[in-house]
Amino acid sequence: MSALASEMGRHRGSRSGLGLLAAALVAAPVVVGIAYSVLGALGVVGPGADGISLRHILAVLANSATWRGLLWTLWIALASTLAATILAMTAAAVFRAERGVDRFARVVAVLPLAVPHVVAALCGLLVLSQSGLLARLAFAANLQVSPADMPALTHDRYGVGLILSLTWKEFPFLALIAFSVIARAGAAMEETARSLGAGALQTFQVAVLPNLWRGLLPSMTAVFAFVAGNFEAAALLAPSSPLALPLLTMERFTDSALSVRPEAFALVLLGMAVSLCGVAAHEWAAHKAEA
Amino acid sequence: MNASRSLPRVGLAVVVVAATLLPLAFLVALSLGSEWFYPGLLPRQWTGANWDLLGRGGTKMAGSLWMSVALAVGTGVISSIGGLFAGREIARLDGSRRRIGVALAFLPVVVPPLALSIGLQYSLLRLGFGGRFAGVLFAHIVPALGYTTLFFTGIFAVFDWRVEDEARSLGASARDVILRVMLPLLHRPLVEAFALGFLVSWAQVPSTLLIGQGLVNTLPLELMSYVSAGQDNLAATAGLILTIPPLALLGAAGLAVRRLRVVVP
Repeated sequence: MSALASEMGRHRGSRSGLGLLAAALVAAPVVVGIAYSVLGALGVVGPGADGISLRHILAVLANSATWRGLLWTLWIALASTLAATILAMTAAAVFRAERGVDRFARVVAVLPLAVPHVVAALCGLLVLSQSGLLARLAFAANLQVSPADMPALTHDRYGVGLILSLTWKEFPFLALIAFSVIARAGAAMEETARSLGAGALQTFQVAVLPNLWRGLLPSMTAVFAFVAGNFEAAALLAPSSPLALPLLTMERFTDSALSVRPEAFALVLLGMAVSLCGVAAHEWAAHKAEA
Repeated sequence: MNASRSLPRVGLAVVVVAATLLPLAFLVALSLGSEWFYPGLLPRQWTGANWDLLGRGGTKMAGSLWMSVALAVGTGVISSIGGLFAGREIARLDGSRRRIGVALAFLPVVVPPLALSIGLQYSLLRLGFGGRFAGVLFAHIVPALGYTTLFFTGIFAVFDWRVEDEARSLGASARDVILRVMLPLLHRPLVEAFALGFLVSWAQVPSTLLIGQGLVNTLPLELMSYVSAGQDNLAATAGLILTIPPLALLGAAGLAVRRLRVVVP
C-alpha cells in the first residue's frame, strides 16, 4: 500500500509552475474583484472616485446604519445556523435505523437541498405571510379570523420569517453531513460507553455529540458565511429597517448618486471580513476540539 | 423496539415530512390554482394556464427559462473542463505549494456572490460585456470554476497516475492520453462536475442582476419580479421550475450512491 502511495506520489511536484499557474488563473477574477473593491473604497477607481483617502471607509464605519445592518445580518446568520444545526443533530440522533420510518424520514429531510435559496425564500413568504398557508391553517383551526390577527412573520424587525426560511433551507445540508457522521462513527463507541454503565443521555453526550460537533463544524462555518452574504433571501424577506448588510451594499451600489459608490465598495470589504471571521472562528473551534 | 419508544420517533418523522413537503405542496397548488382567496385552504379553480406560459414562445417566463438553461449548461461545460485541468495540476503540487494552490482555488467559493459581482462589474463593463450573455456567463463561471477545481483536486489526489505512464510507454501522444485514457476514466466525475457547475449557475442572482444589468433575464430574476408584482401564482410556477433540475440531480446522485454501496466486512 505504501509502495503504491509513493509510486502515485512520484508524479507530484513534477510541474509545480503549471499547478500554481492553474490555481492563479482560477483565483484571478476574484483577486481582481477584491483589488478593485479595495481601490474603490479608497476612492482611487470607479464612479465617485475622488482621490486616495480613508474618507469613505470612515464614513461607512461612522454610519449607524452599517452597524445596525451588520448586527442584524450576524443575528440572522447565527440564529439560522444554530437552529439548523440543532435540528440536524436531533434528526441524525433520532433517525438512525437502516430501514422503515427512519430511512424515509432521512430521504425526505434532505429534499430541500435541491431547492434554490430564492425559492426557499419564496416558500417562506407564501407560507408565513399574513394571508399565507399558516394563516389559512390557523383560520381552519378557528385560531384566527382575519389576516391582521396573524403576527407579522415576514419583513419583520427580528427577521423571524427569514430565519425560519434559511433554517428550512440549510437544515438538509447539515442533516446530510450529520447522517453521514453518525453512519461512519458506527455504534462501537456507543456500545463501549453503554458497557461502561453510561445511560442513554450520557452515551449521547460522550459518544455521539463530540463526533457530530467535529463533523459538522466546517459545514456550519460554510452555512454561516453563506447565509451572512446571501442577497436573494434577504431581498424577499428582510425588513427595510434595519437594512441587512447585503441589501445595504446593493442599495449603495445602485444609488443614482455616484458619490456614494465608494461606500458600497467599503461595505463589500465588510461583507468579506464577515466571511473571513467565520473561517477564522472555524479554525479556532477546530483547533480547540482537537486539543 | 417497543411502541412507547417508537411513538416519539414516528411523531418527529411526521413533523419532518410535513415541514419539508407542505411548503412545496403549497407551491404546486398555487401554480395550478386560480381565484384562491384567503382563507380558502384550496383554490376555487384549477388551471394549467401558468404552466402554458412555458410552451408559448415570446413569454417572459419561457424566455428567462431558456436563458437560465443556456447559462447553466454553458457554465457546467466550461467549469467542468476548466476544473478538470486546474484540479489535475493542483493535485500534482507538493506540500506548501499544494496548500497555496488549494487556497487560491478556494477564493471564488468563500467570497460572497454579491461582493464578487460588485468587484467584477467594472472590469466586465470596461471589456464591453455588461448586459450581455457572455458577461453573465463569465460571472457565473468564476464561482463554479472554484467548486469544480476543488472537486477535481480531490479526485486527482487519489488518481493512479501510472495509468497515463503506461499509455505513454505504449506510444500514446499527450492528446491520446487525455482523450483515450483520462477522459474515459473520469467520465463520471466529469458528469458530476458538470452538474455542480450547472447548479451554481442555476441559482445565481446578484451576478446576473449586476452584470446582466436587466438585459439578461434569468428565471430567478423573473421569480423576484413576480413577487414584487404580487403575482404569486407565476412566482410559484417559476419556483417549481427552478427546483426540478436540482431535484432530478439530487435523485440521480442518491441512486448512484446506492449503486456504489459496498459491504464492508
